[in-house]
Amino acid sequence: MHVYIYDSYVNQKKYDKLLASIETRITDLGLNGKICRLGLMKNIVSLVDTELKRGAKTIVAVGNDSTVSQVINSMAGSSVPLGIIPMGKDNNLIAAGLGIGLEEEACDILSARRITKLNLGQANNLYFLAKAAITNKGTVVEIDKNYSIEIMGPGEINIINLNINNEPLPEKIKIDPQDGILELFIKTKDSKSFFKKITGQSVFPFKTLTILNESHPIILDNSIKVPAPAEISIAKQKLNVIVGKGRSF
Amino acid sequence: MFKSQEEESFKKVETIIGPSVKVKGDFNSQGNIVVEGIVEGSLKTKGSLHIGDKAKVTAEIEAGDAKISGQVNGNVKIKGYLEIMAAAKIFGDVEASILSIERGAILNGKCTMAAEGAANAKKEKE
Repeated sequence: MHVYIYDSYVNQKKYDKLLASIETRITDLGLNGKICRLGLMKNIVSLVDTELKRGAKTIVAVGNDSTVSQVINSMAGSSVPLGIIPMGKDNNLIAAGLGIGLEEEACDILSARRITKLNLGQANNLYFLAKAAITNKGTVVEIDKNYSIEIMGPGEINIINLNINNEPLPEKIKIDPQDGILELFIKTKDSKSFFKKITGQSVFPFKTLTILNESHPIILDNSIKVPAPAEISIAKQKLNVIVGKGRSF
Repeated sequence: MFKSQEEESFKKVETIIGPSVKVKGDFNSQGNIVVEGIVEGSLKTKGSLHIGDKAKVTAEIEAGDAKISGQVNGNVKIKGYLEIMAAAKIFGDVEASILSIERGAILNGKCTMAAEGAANAKKEKE
């Protein structure tokens, strides 16, 4: 059985029409299942856990990157595949990176059931599928305990597992969420220039690193905040994800 | 159609040390490395190494092949082809099987090439 996890924002009136068209498409494709709506009082971890124990065939996150991130953290290690139906164009970069189109197109991808086993990143005890980001102000990075990286100048640090297309990476760098390696991508900007021109890009492949920063948190998949210091590595658990043909890897 | 050997070997870059980054410690890699920033410690790779003209490397270097345009303080040990460009400044001993030094490059140190036998064997292989 498919279990659809609706994010709380999907209950807004402006999504009514969209949701109705998705539900019709799901019925047409014979993918009907149970609908669980997230709310303030519902604990997503126990909700997903219960559904997995009840024998869910697929868990489908209906919402945005934040919804996907919460669902991933609830089902890491499970062999049940994750499907995604992105609602609205905002904050839906993970679905785009996985080649999943919006709304009804996503239902067709769900029906095609193209399952790929993907690595997950882990920051302390939380998981991420796409990236972990932190400002490089006051950040020190230690990789595999062998060497440290000092960043001279303002900018951003991204730890990338899945390329979600909003980062202009150097052209020879290819990100693959199946290679068992994370990429540390450091982008520095010229603070004096009005347009904050990018002055440098650095890329380091790694398996484990430690991020130290006393004042800024690390943000996982554009949604979950993790305080530094944090150890970031490839998680032992992998995740089966239903992907589209236009995926970035 | 006729891509140079260097272009071919840099088709897949694994690590880029950008201009605003300083790496301290023992940096070991299996793949290709491009250095545009600062490295202090040691730098080892089985792949190709490209040190850009603004890079400053104070390290012992070991690599499969290398192209150096920047400043290097330390010994350089290259298994294959070492290309020293005009802007390069190397203060340390250099060891390579095949070596080319462009006019204008600065090299202060002992230069050792692979034994004749090894070079011939490589030629035969090719």
